[in-house]
Amino acid sequence: MLEHLLYIDPGSGSYLVQVIAAAVLGIAFFFRNIRNYIRSFFTRTPKKPNDNPPA
Amino acid sequence: MSNHTPHPSSYRDPSGFIFEKDGSLYRQVNKVFKDDFDLFIASGCYENLVKKGWLIPHDRVIENFTGDKEWYTTLQPETIPFISYPYEWSFDVLKDAALLTLGILRTSLESGMILKDASPYNIQWYKGKLIFIDSLSFEKYDETEPWIAYRQFCEHFLSPLLLSYYAKSSLQELLLAYSDGIPLQIASSLLPWKTRFSMHIYLHIHLHAKYSAKDPGPTTQKTVFSKKKLLNLVTSLELLIKKLNPGENKTTWSGYYDEAAGRGDYLAHKQLIISQWLDKVKPSTVADHGANKGEFSKLAAAKNIPVIACDFDAVCINGLYREIKRSGEKNILPLIMDITRPSPAIGVNNKERASFMERTNTDMAFALALIHHLVIGKNIPFDKIAVFFQTVCRYLIIEFVPKEDEKVAYMLNQKKDIYPHYTEQYFETVFSNYFSIEAKEKISGSGRTIYLLKKNER
Repeated sequence: MLEHLLYIDPGSGSYLVQVIAAAVLGIAFFFRNIRNYIRSFFTRTPKKPNDNPPA
Repeated sequence: MSNHTPHPSSYRDPSGFIFEKDGSLYRQVNKVFKDDFDLFIASGCYENLVKKGWLIPHDRVIENFTGDKEWYTTLQPETIPFISYPYEWSFDVLKDAALLTLGILRTSLESGMILKDASPYNIQWYKGKLIFIDSLSFEKYDETEPWIAYRQFCEHFLSPLLLSYYAKSSLQELLLAYSDGIPLQIASSLLPWKTRFSMHIYLHIHLHAKYSAKDPGPTTQKTVFSKKKLLNLVTSLELLIKKLNPGENKTTWSGYYDEAAGRGDYLAHKQLIISQWLDKVKPSTVADHGANKGEFSKLAAAKNIPVIACDFDAVCINGLYREIKRSGEKNILPLIMDITRPSPAIGVNNKERASFMERTNTDMAFALALIHHLVIGKNIPFDKIAVFFQTVCRYLIIEFVPKEDEKVAYMLNQKKDIYPHYTEQYFETVFSNYFSIEAKEKISGSGRTIYLLKKNER
């Protein structure tokens, strides 16, 4: 029934690497958020991340 | 009863397919995809994306045109006037297409859906910006699953962007060779060693390449994922891609207009003539071949005519794209295209992606200050050039640059003059086999002549 999922071959390697990458990024972003928080504490206009793609 | 033609590029996904019927394009949704499609609409995902202008809107047609047993419903999407492919896009276009894909993924997650397909072929140019065209690329989101299209995204978008960025060269032609994306192992081996020290590049390319090359073995453990982890992955990709800002390099052609502007009233007079001819012919579409930075494309665009601006110089085309983005110009589509080797037809049976000449049939074409580069620079005879233009347009505005012109003299200084036929008279004789001369004028400040030609109806 899940045939429609299989037309892209994601490769188990891609799944595994996402798990590893997400774990590494989780730690990296945790420290990045602390850094940004401290930075915004000292500066009046904190840099807001712009998540919008180009329109 | 089913007088429809399935689109040759729409065969990969069993969820549905595109077909043509009576000159209109439709998309069939198959029964197998019913639940996901219904959720896509009911969850508000479709509406959110259309509201943002990121997804092509469609009308629902409750009619089984194909007579297919698998039919669930039919969609009629708004029509994209000109289909272009990633191997014709400049760096910033591919970059914006990548960011649009990630933006769409984020938005779909908010509605409990996920983007299952991250192919740049699902993105097209519509009303002056990029838009996603495949409304069957969304399925119900399972938070425990990683992103199925992650590798596809890395190979189709990240690999070419990083390679091009670090090579400081336009490499869009690689996408023609690797139309399913540049394999991670190849990207990893071609990227400079220092990129291994960038956390984002290391994870998405180098480590990814290492793992995807490994045989996972017969038993694959169930990986546990979460939405937060997926969002971290998306943020990482966005941070990396947004940082890729190649400077505006200078090429032979990037300073062309600055130089041309110095030639008396040459540019102004040429603009005046073209403007008058545009008003006379009133073409519905224009293709500007050898557009450079699009000075004359803008002239047509200002008259509200959709223009395809083509040039083989990637720096010029990228500069034009940046300018369009800044100014909000809606009528110009900038494409990297070498007129001496237009994009071929590629893919399954050579029918999946049509060639440039099959796709291009504009009302009018410009070939301004181009012919000497083709004849003298590339040794292409007038006849072959005339055949190209009579295939792709109905009216042609073409500029003849004589041998006495300083630019041609400069070119001939560096090579043997094997072009005894390069004369205005012979040019007229050959082009008259395919076109009739509607008007011709000398451009002041130069010895150049500009022609308005109309294709002979056979």
